[in-house]
Amino acid sequence: MKKAKTTNRRDFLLAAGLGGVGAAAAVVTATTQKQAVPGAAPTVDKASGYRMTEHIEKYYKTTEV
Amino acid sequence: MNAVAIPVAVHRPLAAEEAARADFYALLSRLFQAAPDGSLLHALAGAEPLPAGGDARLAKAWGALIAASSAMDEDAALDEYDALFGGVGKSPVSLYGGFYAGAMAIDHPRVRIRADLAGLGLTPHVDEPEDFFPGLFDAMRVLIAGGAGRGPATLQEQRRFFQSHLAPAWPGLVKAADGAAKANYYRQVAALAAAFLAIETESFELD
Repeated sequence: MKKAKTTNRRDFLLAAGLGGVGAAAAVVTATTQKQAVPGAAPTVDKASGYRMTEHIEKYYKTTEV
Repeated sequence: MNAVAIPVAVHRPLAAEEAARADFYALLSRLFQAAPDGSLLHALAGAEPLPAGGDARLAKAWGALIAASSAMDEDAALDEYDALFGGVGKSPVSLYGGFYAGAMAIDHPRVRIRADLAGLGLTPHVDEPEDFFPGLFDAMRVLIAGGAGRGPATLQEQRRFFQSHLAPAWPGLVKAADGAAKANYYRQVAALAAAFLAIETESFELD
């Protein structure tokens, strides 16, 4: 992407194609929105493969103060 | 990252390019938070390519992610996510910005423990280390589009957050994910992140 110092931010974003990706990105947002936690760092949920095994539970206990 | 409620919410529709930015951040947050499930892979596989004439790198990365999403299944994605980002202690690719930004505090035992617990999904999101990439991306989404009881942030606020917390860290994440031996699908995710965040970086230099 060449430097575009002479243009303004909006023109730059439009030139990058961001004005025309609405349809593409929206389908993704529709899928992701229900999992998103607005305004906060999302927790790593079950989908990341976490399983509460005895081993993990034991490890967790060692971190308790 | 505390949301500041704005008493009188003025809901002006977001400009298309701002909505697109929020969407990209939402997608990156989601993909780095957890492996894509079947419905997300399906949605990505069916997504439209970006229109020609825009940023070539972004269009190429988007096309590659669409292709990879149609070839990927849920189980393989889960295995790859765990291989790259999972585990207690050091994972091949850190999801914490401080790791790449060289923050001294990253060595603080309490921070290490917190990071390990977060990797196990045991930390409530309010206590998630603040340099957790999915949280940083989601924070940008909210700053752009509003949500959580607040309206969009000013461009100056967005710029300050991005330049303070994401700019020093994202190149390291992209490089690590791209170079990890077990990376396949996430190599495409990294390429999309790099293309999009490079546009963000440059746009914040403009008014």
